[in-house]
Amino acid sequence: MNNTTPARAAAAAAGIGTALLLQATLVAPVFGTVPVSLPAVVVAAVALVDGPAVGIAFGFAAGLVADLGSDHPAGILALCWLAVGLVAGTFAERRNLRRDAAAVAVICTAAAVAATALLALVHGATIGSAIRGALPCLLGDLLLAFGIVPLVRRMLRSDRLRPPRPVGLPVAAGGHRG
Amino acid sequence: MRRLTRRQRVSAIVLAVLAACFITLDLGGGGLSQAHSGVRGTLGALYRGTDAVLGPVRRWLEGVPAAGSNEARISDLERQNAVLRGRIAALRTDRRVTEAVAALQRSADGTDAAVVPARVIAFGPGQGFDWTVTLDVGTNDGVHGGQTVTDGDGLVGRVLHSDADTCVVLLAADPGSGVGARDVRTGEIGVASGRGTDGLLFVPLDPHADIRVGDQLITGPTKASSYVAGLTVGTVRSVRTSADGSLEAGVTPAADPTSVDFVGVIIDGRAADAARAPLQPGPGTRK
Repeated sequence: MNNTTPARAAAAAAGIGTALLLQATLVAPVFGTVPVSLPAVVVAAVALVDGPAVGIAFGFAAGLVADLGSDHPAGILALCWLAVGLVAGTFAERRNLRRDAAAVAVICTAAAVAATALLALVHGATIGSAIRGALPCLLGDLLLAFGIVPLVRRMLRSDRLRPPRPVGLPVAAGGHRG
Repeated sequence: MRRLTRRQRVSAIVLAVLAACFITLDLGGGGLSQAHSGVRGTLGALYRGTDAVLGPVRRWLEGVPAAGSNEARISDLERQNAVLRGRIAALRTDRRVTEAVAALQRSADGTDAAVVPARVIAFGPGQGFDWTVTLDVGTNDGVHGGQTVTDGDGLVGRVLHSDADTCVVLLAADPGSGVGARDVRTGEIGVASGRGTDGLLFVPLDPHADIRVGDQLITGPTKASSYVAGLTVGTVRSVRTSADGSLEAGVTPAADPTSVDFVGVIIDGRAADAARAPLQPGPGTRK
């Protein structure tokens, strides 16, 4: 977990803030009722490069800020985006950009459906709208992923933001770092 | 595929439990209301600044689908005329704003209260499952929680929270929203609940009420609802009787929740000595 440097922490905070602002002022109005989520795509893209540990922490933090800035109960997006970071960091292939972008879109859509279903349960409504919106959401997330995944990959592999020890290489005690 | 270390598994479980605790705490009462208020205030101020920069881009993007049919035929010309199209889009926006202000003025003329014009600067972070919008007016403009929001023709929602310069509005289409409504034709009263993209669902108090397709619903009755009475809620598009014999009516909202842009917050006229001049009832209108 010693991959955190001041520059990486600052970049993570800036990334969360920028994604939330763009989501509320640009992405959400343009996509209307389709629950396409730029912050979720950013979380998945970061987890693809830095692994599940960073993905879990980044997803939880971003989700909690989004929750507290909303009117639904806090913790719902934190839980869903935590899962996005975990799944994207664990199962990603990391070799083929198109496959990675597709994986990000599928994971984010599943998280959006889960979040919508959770909210529907809280409000006592049915989850029909969550399922109906899945396909358009997948297309929207795919569109965002093709732009965000290469951008995040390039940023996190720059000299200033590169982790002190390469992510994903076996350490002395065995296993993999995340 | 990477394998999770024991530490990572424990971290994931702890954070998931923490998130579940937050959900329970927030559902159970106002345990996190201060945190909500602080983050909302900060984000509201940031939304305002960001919208000032990205607003024109957003409005242009929102106008793209309408121009889609022509794009296929004249794609070459469109590239050359990008600047002119931008100007046309701006003119359309200006005309829409002018019409919206006129509608709000008519709305102000028809009530005793003043109407503060406002623009939607952000949608809820989870648009699609969280039907809220952020407006660019706040307590400095006389806007407070509970006040009714209209687009001039119909009900949009009500103010949930208000900060100095922004406020959050719960749209009437939100699945957690309920509006006291009256059928204009028969006078029957009931509750219109939000159903997201499906509009509203009106359930009259009298299960044998005479509700027909095409009936218009308005907010009311006066002083029995948290909304200003007399605003159009929507039009009945379908009526069905459920298995238990109760009557339900699908309602098309008067104000489209997915395209709200320019709206008015109905405030008490006495609280209207603010930075943004509210639209006051004109001379010669009813009091």
